[in-house]
Amino acid sequence: MAEEKKTFVLTRFDPDKDEEPRLQSYEIPVQSDWKILDAINYIKDEVDGSVSHRWSCRMEVCGSCGMMVDGEPKLTCKTAVSDYGDTVKVEPLANFPIVRDLIVEFDGFMDKFKSVKPWVVRAKELAAEEGPMRQSPAELQAFKQFSMCINCMLCYASCPVVANEPHFLGPAAIALGHRYNMDSRDEGNAERNEIFRGEGTVFSCSYANECSEVCPKNVDPAAAVNQAKFNAVIDWAGSLVLPRGGK
Amino acid sequence: MAGPAHPRAMEPPKPGRTRTAPPQTPGSWPSHPRMRVYTLFGLTGILYLLVGFTSLRLVWALGEGPQRFHEVLASFGHPIYVAFHALTLAAVVFVGVRFLSLFPKAQPANIGPLKPPPRPIIHAMLYVVWITLTVVFAAILAGAIF
Amino acid sequence: MRHLLLKLEPVIWLLFGQGIMIGTMLLTGWLLVVGIAVPLGIVDADALNYQRAHSLGSNIIGRLVLAALIALPMWKGAHHCRHLSIDHGGGDRDHIVAPILYAIATIGSIAAILAVVRL
Repeated sequence: MAEEKKTFVLTRFDPDKDEEPRLQSYEIPVQSDWKILDAINYIKDEVDGSVSHRWSCRMEVCGSCGMMVDGEPKLTCKTAVSDYGDTVKVEPLANFPIVRDLIVEFDGFMDKFKSVKPWVVRAKELAAEEGPMRQSPAELQAFKQFSMCINCMLCYASCPVVANEPHFLGPAAIALGHRYNMDSRDEGNAERNEIFRGEGTVFSCSYANECSEVCPKNVDPAAAVNQAKFNAVIDWAGSLVLPRGGK
Repeated sequence: MAGPAHPRAMEPPKPGRTRTAPPQTPGSWPSHPRMRVYTLFGLTGILYLLVGFTSLRLVWALGEGPQRFHEVLASFGHPIYVAFHALTLAAVVFVGVRFLSLFPKAQPANIGPLKPPPRPIIHAMLYVVWITLTVVFAAILAGAIF
Repeated sequence: MRHLLLKLEPVIWLLFGQGIMIGTMLLTGWLLVVGIAVPLGIVDADALNYQRAHSLGSNIIGRLVLAALIALPMWKGAHHCRHLSIDHGGGDRDHIVAPILYAIATIGSIAAILAVVRL
C-alpha cells in the first residue's frame, strides 16, 4: 500500500530567538489510525526534536494536549488525522499567551480556577465520630455532570468573551464553582455567588454556547454558567431582603 | 489564528520566567458557521432596539388622538417600514428558535424542593406558549376577537 | 463605572432575559399584524381604528402588554449590542459603550411607561 503523507503546519515560537510566532511545515508519512498527537510526536521524535508541546495520558482524560487544529480547539489525542485533508494546521490554544511553540501559559486559568473556591466549604466540619457526609444518588446527579471537567481549557480557547474580557472567570471555573454550589455537602453558595457577581462576573457570558460545543467530556459548561446566573440573581435578590451578616 | 485577542486575555497573575507571545483568537472565527449564527444573534439586538422605538412611536401617537394615530399607522405602510418590520419579524423568529433551544438547559436543577420538568417538556411547553400567545395577540390586533 | 455596571448586572440580565422571552413572544404577533398585515392590506385597517385601538390599549392589561412590548425588546437589544461591541475587540471600551446603550433602553422604557399612562 502506498504510504500516505500529510503536511502539518505547526506554530513555532522560541522566545529567545523569535520576535513573534511563525509557521513551519512538516510533510510526514501518516498511519490511518493516527491521532493528531501521534503526528506531532512523530515530528518531534523523527524530524525536528525542537518542537515543544504538552501531552500525557493519550486517552482523553488528562486534558494536557489541547491545541487548535485547523482553527478549532481539540484534544489532539482524541482527534483523528483521517478527519483532515492533506494539510493540517496545528496551533497553540487560542486566547492564551504563548510560552513556546504549541505550549500556552495557563497560570491565568489556574488563578481563575482557584478564585471560585473549588472545594467543599463547610461552616463546621463534621466530627469523625459523626461518620461520613451522606449523599443520595439524586443529590449526586445534581452536580455530577459538572464534575467531569478535565481542565483541558478548550472552552477558554473557544469563548468570545474570554478573548475580549480579561476579567471574565470563564467557562470551566464557573462550571466548577457551580458544581460545588450544587453539591449538597457544600455550604459555600453565598461566598461563591458573591464571586460570581464580582469582577469576573458570570453575567459577562453571552451564551455563545461554544464552550459546550467544544467540550470533549460533555460537561456542558454553558448550562452551568447560565444556571449560575440564575442562582446568582436569586442570591442577589435574597441579599437585598436579608443583607449578609443578618442571616 | 484569526487575529489578536485582548492583549491581557488569560494573563497570568504574575509574569512567567520567559517572554510570551500575545494571545490570538481562533482561526475558525469569524467564518465558522456557529460563530456566524452567534454573530447574527447579536446583530438582532439592533433590530430589537429599533423596533422598540417604532412601537413607541405608534403607542405615543395613540395617546395624541385619532388623527396623529392614523398618520403614524399609515406611515407604517411605507416600503422601508414594511421591509424593516418584515426583517425584524424574521429576526424575532430566529431569536425565538435559538433562545428556546438554549433555555431549557439553563434552568437550575431545583429551586428548593421544586424540580423543573424534563428539558424536552420545557422546550415543547415554550413553543406552545409562544404559538398560543402569537395567535391570540394577532387575532386581537386583527379584530378577530374582542 | 465598571463597579456600577457590576452592581446592576443582575437587574440588567433579568430585563434582558425578559426582553428575549416576553419581548419575542409579544413581538411576533405585533409585527405580523401591525407591521405587515395591516400596512399591506391583508388585514382590514379598520381593525386598528382609533376607537378600538384606544379601547384595547387603555385597559390595564393593554397598558401592561404595550409597555412590555416596547420596553423589554430594548433591553435585549441594548444588551446584545453591548456584547457585539465586546466580541469585536471592545472589552476596553465597554465602560463607555454599555452605559450609553443601557441609557437608551432606560429612556425608552420610561417613555414606554409614559406612553401607556397617558392613553
